[in-house]
Amino acid sequence: MSAPLLETPPLLETRGVWQRFGGLIANSDVSISVNAGEIVGLIGPNGAGKSTLFNLIAGARAPTQGSIWFDGKDVTRMPATRRCALGIARTFQVVKSFETMTVIDNVIVGALIRNEKMRDARRKAYEVLDFCGLAPRADKLARELIPSEKRRLEVARALATEPKLLMLDECLTGLTPLEAQSGVALVRKVRESGVSVLMVEHVMEIVMPLVDRAIVLNLGKKLVEGKPADVVRHPEVISAYLGDRHAVGA
Amino acid sequence: MGLLYGLLAVGLALIFGLMDVTNFAHGEFLMLAMYLTFFLFAFWALDPLLSIPIVAAGMFIFGAVIYLLVIRFAMRAEANRGMVQIFATFGLAILMRGLAQFFFTPDYRSIPASMLGGKTISVFGVFLPVPQLVGALISIAAFGGLYFFMKKTDFGRALEATREDAGAVALVGIDKNKVFALGWGLGSALIGLAGGVMAIFFYVYPDVGASFALIAYVTVALGGFGSVFGAFAGGIIVGLVEATTAMILPPSLKSVGIYAVYLLVVFIRPRGLFGSI
Amino acid sequence: MDSFTQRRRRDLILAAILAVIAACVPVFVKDVYVQNIMVLTLMYAALSQAWNILGGYCGQISLGHALYFGLGAYTTALLFTKFGVLPWFGMLGGGVLSALIALALGYPTFRLRGHYFVIATIVIAEIGLLLFHNWDYAGAALGIDIPVRGDSWAKFQFARSKLPFYYFALVFCCVAWFITWWLEDSRWGYWWRAVKDNPDAAESLGVVVFNSKMGAAAVSAFLTAVGGSFYALFVSYIDPESTMTFQFSLLMALPAVLGGIGTLWGPVLGAVILIPMTELTRSFIGGSGRGVDLILYGAVIVLISLARPDGLIGLFSRRPASKGVPQ
Repeated sequence: MSAPLLETPPLLETRGVWQRFGGLIANSDVSISVNAGEIVGLIGPNGAGKSTLFNLIAGARAPTQGSIWFDGKDVTRMPATRRCALGIARTFQVVKSFETMTVIDNVIVGALIRNEKMRDARRKAYEVLDFCGLAPRADKLARELIPSEKRRLEVARALATEPKLLMLDECLTGLTPLEAQSGVALVRKVRESGVSVLMVEHVMEIVMPLVDRAIVLNLGKKLVEGKPADVVRHPEVISAYLGDRHAVGA
Repeated sequence: MGLLYGLLAVGLALIFGLMDVTNFAHGEFLMLAMYLTFFLFAFWALDPLLSIPIVAAGMFIFGAVIYLLVIRFAMRAEANRGMVQIFATFGLAILMRGLAQFFFTPDYRSIPASMLGGKTISVFGVFLPVPQLVGALISIAAFGGLYFFMKKTDFGRALEATREDAGAVALVGIDKNKVFALGWGLGSALIGLAGGVMAIFFYVYPDVGASFALIAYVTVALGGFGSVFGAFAGGIIVGLVEATTAMILPPSLKSVGIYAVYLLVVFIRPRGLFGSI
Repeated sequence: MDSFTQRRRRDLILAAILAVIAACVPVFVKDVYVQNIMVLTLMYAALSQAWNILGGYCGQISLGHALYFGLGAYTTALLFTKFGVLPWFGMLGGGVLSALIALALGYPTFRLRGHYFVIATIVIAEIGLLLFHNWDYAGAALGIDIPVRGDSWAKFQFARSKLPFYYFALVFCCVAWFITWWLEDSRWGYWWRAVKDNPDAAESLGVVVFNSKMGAAAVSAFLTAVGGSFYALFVSYIDPESTMTFQFSLLMALPAVLGGIGTLWGPVLGAVILIPMTELTRSFIGGSGRGVDLILYGAVIVLISLARPDGLIGLFSRRPASKGVPQ
């Protein structure tokens, strides 16, 4: 399942990224990478700095220190719109759909970045909806969708921008087992279509079988990374989670 | 004068900060308050100073009623909520102006002789008009009272809580409508205070609201929406700027200073000086 | 052909039919007073449509559009009376000037959210009003009188019949409508609606929010200014009070809000209902100065805003049928 080891440079790289908010250090010297064709999971207990890192990569702000490289280019200071043009797409943890627009229109907005003509954009949007299993709901207003469908719409919209890297922010959290299963299937499908995936997740049982590689953050630092099976058994990871739950020690 | 503007503004600020509603009929509320004061004087020879509490109380009721009858429905709109409020209250403003014209005639009225009218006193060698001075004092008192009220009393805190999350508040047994209605009443009462004072030295006519309304909005926005203190500070600044501008530029341009200051402030701080929204 | 394209076509055909009907009306209606109302209706429909582009589609509520209207009116009037420039060029000039100013103003104001933005637009327009009020070159409070000497298409003045104005207004309205129609199914239209609904999400999809707002502002200002120029020529006299007041800004937005903000037909519907009603009540009832017309007017606005917050257009809308794959 994992991508073959090649000598090509990683698709996404963060190099020694620090993020400080006043006195609070949210990310400290974090260096991670995602290779083309991988599904990478970014996990860790609450407050680990996952969301902060996620947003830094997505372009919400520039890191206090360090750099971010994508597809061989330094994107550290680029705004989110430019990063999207380069091929980074993201979903939001709290779904941000365009409520007053129809499902297909939502996706069209995404498709517009690569398709100048409306006709092409519309066609692409329909393809993407089909890919994500939302085609029957194409004409519904976004606000009429149920939560799991809205999550799918987020993914569809992001996919419409034809990204090289799709970043998912806790998109499998809070779903019923059935919904989560189809979510996992969708992520696999996305990878098969040639898009790399970086996902931030909480729900271990679902994420671990899915990802090729897992990166664990804790208290702003990168703790461990490796194959899911190894990571899960790593003593520091266990204590990070257990410690979080039982509030034992630092 | 600045303090008076502040008073005017705080009524608006309260309502806005409370429910994210901007009352475009604010000026007309003022007009109503002024008319009330006038009529109390005309029919019962009640001096404006004394009638102020009565006017305030009357406006309180009026405000609450308007909320229950009108504003409550305006808040139901899902999309375009801001626009609905603006235009619904704008319609209300026109309606009130029309009613005033109809019932009160467009003539200018004024209160000729009152306890405070036309008198000046000398403070540190500077002659100040007494009505304005008293108005300013009332403003300060009102602000102080409001601040205290908001922070310390249960109701004040209920108001804030309801603003934050109307849904959650219902779970704790707070009736959103009741709170809002009272909030509107309170805001209107404050306008009533302002109106009572201003009737002493301003002409009263149906369109009088319009001229002050814009200043009120600018004052609130300048101080920042959602902040009572902001409205107070805004009022003072506006008053000062207006006075200064009047000295430099021809009288018809006196408002330019205020507007310019607003734009400047908002350019630097997009949420006004102390705004939380 | 799928139903989406069908709907677009249907709108276009409907517009064409209405335009033709409107063009024929003056043949039957000779009363100058009524014609006047019709011209105003068309003008307001166009102005509101222009406002709608920025306010309805892009979500930036401006209550200071009277500024652009006034700029258009004054540019045309000044160029004509002081330099003899033909109004057609004046119209163009006014439009371009307004668009440029809109862009310049957009820079500091588009970072403002919600009510702060609205008040900023009001305040800017007020400053404009005050400046023109005191600017003697432009006639200050007395305004500018445009001398009308006989009919001339070049100078766009017609002393005897108001019909040419009617047709111009009709064309103007159609153009504004058409531009909106065209933009609705264009990248800009989609960007604007995305920005209005959720700017953060729009950015994540590569939409440069600021630029899209600027675009909307420029188009909106241009059209509004052209309307202003038209008005100047139509009434042959302008002054700050009649072209740049806050009341007027509200009046430009009102038809769109009542008819259906952010919709294609909303402004037209709103104008068709609102303007004749206003004018008629003012003439028949308002004469006494007792404000009954205002009462009516105000009450109507309140009722419509409360009963149908999404605009009257909601009464006519049909849910779009399922869209097939585009051919």
